[in-house]
Amino acid sequence: MILRRLSAILFLPLMIAFGSGAYLYLGSLKSKVVKTRADLPTVTKPRLVLPGTMFVVQDGRLFKLKDGGFTEIGTVGDWSQPTLTPDHTRLVAVLRSGYSSDLYLLDLDGHVLKRLTKNDSRIVDYNHWAFYPRVSPDGSTLFYSYDGPKHVDSAPGDDLSIWSMPLNGSQYQARRRTDPYWYTGGDVSPVPLAGTAVLFVQHSIDPSTSVHSQIRLQTRLGDLVGKPLTSLADDCSQPALSPDGTQLAMICTGGKQSARLEVAPFNGTSLGPARVLLEGGLYASPAWSPDGQALAYFAPSGAAGHFELWWLAVPVVATPSPTPTATPAHAPSAGGAASSIVVPSLPSTPVPVQVTQGVDLTATSPPAWY
Amino acid sequence: MRLVILTLFCLLLSGTAGVAAYFLPVVVAGVGQTGQTVVVPPSDSPGEKVTPTPSTSPGAPFTVLLLGSDDDSKFNADHVLTQSMILVRVDPAGKHVTMMSIPRDLWVPLSTGGSAKIDAAYAYGGAGAAIATVQRNFHVHIDEYAWVGLKGLIKMIDLLGGVDLFITNPVLDDAYPDDINGGFLYGYKTVAVLPGAQHLDGSHALQYVRSRHNDINGDFGRSARQQEVLLAMKVKASTLNAADLPDIVNALKGEFKTSMGLDRVRSLLSVASGFDLANVKQIVLYAPFYTNYGPQISGQSVIYPHWPQILAVTRENFP
Repeated sequence: MILRRLSAILFLPLMIAFGSGAYLYLGSLKSKVVKTRADLPTVTKPRLVLPGTMFVVQDGRLFKLKDGGFTEIGTVGDWSQPTLTPDHTRLVAVLRSGYSSDLYLLDLDGHVLKRLTKNDSRIVDYNHWAFYPRVSPDGSTLFYSYDGPKHVDSAPGDDLSIWSMPLNGSQYQARRRTDPYWYTGGDVSPVPLAGTAVLFVQHSIDPSTSVHSQIRLQTRLGDLVGKPLTSLADDCSQPALSPDGTQLAMICTGGKQSARLEVAPFNGTSLGPARVLLEGGLYASPAWSPDGQALAYFAPSGAAGHFELWWLAVPVVATPSPTPTATPAHAPSAGGAASSIVVPSLPSTPVPVQVTQGVDLTATSPPAWY
Repeated sequence: MRLVILTLFCLLLSGTAGVAAYFLPVVVAGVGQTGQTVVVPPSDSPGEKVTPTPSTSPGAPFTVLLLGSDDDSKFNADHVLTQSMILVRVDPAGKHVTMMSIPRDLWVPLSTGGSAKIDAAYAYGGAGAAIATVQRNFHVHIDEYAWVGLKGLIKMIDLLGGVDLFITNPVLDDAYPDDINGGFLYGYKTVAVLPGAQHLDGSHALQYVRSRHNDINGDFGRSARQQEVLLAMKVKASTLNAADLPDIVNALKGEFKTSMGLDRVRSLLSVASGFDLANVKQIVLYAPFYTNYGPQISGQSVIYPHWPQILAVTRENFP
């Protein structure tokens, strides 16, 4: 009798343990997509040591990637889209707050040196957005997208234009550089060139009311629409100019939910035939390595993955040729090829290398790399 | 020998108890949220009620009416407008899916009597009225429905770890409803969703699918965005398995109702993992071909249907 009772007492914890074990085992069978949450970059080890220093963003936090390790920089806030000044001594970044966003000048450790814009208001309608800061090659001018002027006497719409202001000046000196199509979201991603020229992405509407993205070039002040460098049908955006200014990386979708990473030679006025480096994925925000030999970009790592940092060697460009000789895998139709454009050799298949794992970096904030 | 049998029995019992505890929320939800009885008036005579005959043999194509609503305090419970109405035809054998968004502002005769914007059908008569109104006007047979509230959509997307999308152009809205987190229910705020490939969590995905004030296509553009997010959710959901069900149920608690039984939900998940996005046909009834904007009615912006064009589409895609 005593033995039976003792057995029962011993059995009870065993049963509880077994039942709990069954419960926990089922929990361990949850799919990866449900379980996976992003890690802080600082607790991860990049698989590849990239040359130079790179600034990236994860969920409003700024990180510096250097010598194969991440360091968090800056203060608490919803930061995004850091960009370097040409002398690589300072950053300009976007800080979202409430119903608006502003541009800030930071040092390379993320400390605020100066607030460059003031777009917040207690009245909802008077708030503004500023995104996509880029500093001109001579370091004097800040280009960015800004939602002004707002629509008047119509639906409560809001479209971004490209604006510029002196980096050491004030927002009151800012001037509007482009005239966006209304109800498209407007113009984004300025890339300042030497002088007053600027590349930007315009969103426009075709007769069937489909919205397209197109990379355009504005060469002089007052030309509010610029000239197209890519065709509407290609739906190209997110331009990134190589350090020597001769190649443009971009993301093109052709209106689909998958993208191509392309590189085209650029002579300052037009694009040559584009090469498709990657296609069929959600590629985002290409950025050139400091030596111009490789690209960094973001893409998910599988269906259950996050947006990770990837590295891709750009195939070597052939000796400059006065006329295009290679058959383009894909040629932008609007800009066409200019006679002085460098035509790359047909590339061997580039192999992307995944740099980070499980960190979910902000794909709309291109890496700032020097 | 007796001791061995007793031991095995006890372990089986405790293991079963562990499994039962794990799936208890699913069972509770299965009783409360799935297999909802829907009463659909079968003819043009409102009020005549017959239980529907949801289809058919396993593996046969079936059509689901997806309904998405504000479920905040602006409305009484179960009397909410359906801002999103999407007909989805699933062909498990052919591994093909067709999605057609119904414009919320479409002015139609309601099954409950009178005419109104189609998003009011659910508010006046629940899922049965919404189904009957769509069936009568679009000449389609609806086998099942699923309703989800905004908060449920946010939680579901968050449960999936967010969705990955390529957003074609900036979505900026200066009059986005600020009604999710309490406060003034008719308040509004500004939102900005930037273009490009990106990862969206639940609340940002909701901003993307709900914003309409700065879209040249208005509600039609929003409908197209809703379909994009549904497909992005499908990509993430294709890796789900039965062990995820308690989390899903917990996320959708009180924010989800469906006429589908657990069996059909499970088979739908299995279909979702089996077909390619290339086999998904997306239809949006854009103006001016399928619909057109017309004079306001009682101060409401409404859209008028071009039935010959619409019915040609439904005949072809929802036979």
